[in-house]
Amino acid sequence: MSYKDGTKSTLGPYVDPTPLPASVPQVAELGVTSAPLKSAAFFIGAHCKEYNEDFMLCKNENRDPAHCLLEGRRVTRCAADLINKMRENCVKEFNEHWGCLELNNQEYYRCRKPERTLNKCMFDKLGLKKVIPGTPEGQTQIHEVENPIHKRMQK
Amino acid sequence: MPVPWEAFIPFALLTTMFAATGTLVNVAKRGQNDGKPPRYNVDAWDEMMMERDRRLTGSHRGQSVDVEAPKQFATNSSWYTERAR
Repeated sequence: MSYKDGTKSTLGPYVDPTPLPASVPQVAELGVTSAPLKSAAFFIGAHCKEYNEDFMLCKNENRDPAHCLLEGRRVTRCAADLINKMRENCVKEFNEHWGCLELNNQEYYRCRKPERTLNKCMFDKLGLKKVIPGTPEGQTQIHEVENPIHKRMQK
Repeated sequence: MPVPWEAFIPFALLTTMFAATGTLVNVAKRGQNDGKPPRYNVDAWDEMMMERDRRLTGSHRGQSVDVEAPKQFATNSSWYTERAR
């Protein structure tokens, strides 16, 4: 929370009263919103696994925001890199999938058809495969099941 | 033999009324949600993500695929609106 002196005028653009020190490198935050992020989530997990794990272990040590700035910057850069690659290679399937998610309360089980085309494109072009961690051994991944119990009502 | 067509008027009236109300509600809901069906079962995570979407695009249901956030994103969080009392 930042302290704002009540005497300054409110005209003019907002200037951050407590900017980060110059010693902290500036990394642009991701501009991706919730639906495309949800669509790309498992691919971010496959592509950026080491950086994400580093960040989570770092946070586990100490929840202070200043402690994990470096790992956080790495996570942001990796995710931005993947989004760039997705936009270059599989933009049509990506847009279809997150468009479908947006119309269906952002639930995966209702958008399996666009998801399958996106998974295929991502595997062919970038070699990334969607794997749901924590699936019991021997059980097919739910997104690969041919006739699931929970599915959308329209074909 | 003449068919009592006047007897069907109430049925037609009721059907029309239901259809009109349903359409009106649907249009109102879609109008509030940028033309998309409304979100339901919204938990704290989804609320946080929708607030982030509002900060990025201006609308709770707006979506964008830009890699870099707009410049305002750094300072348009509600945490910045604290004032000295």
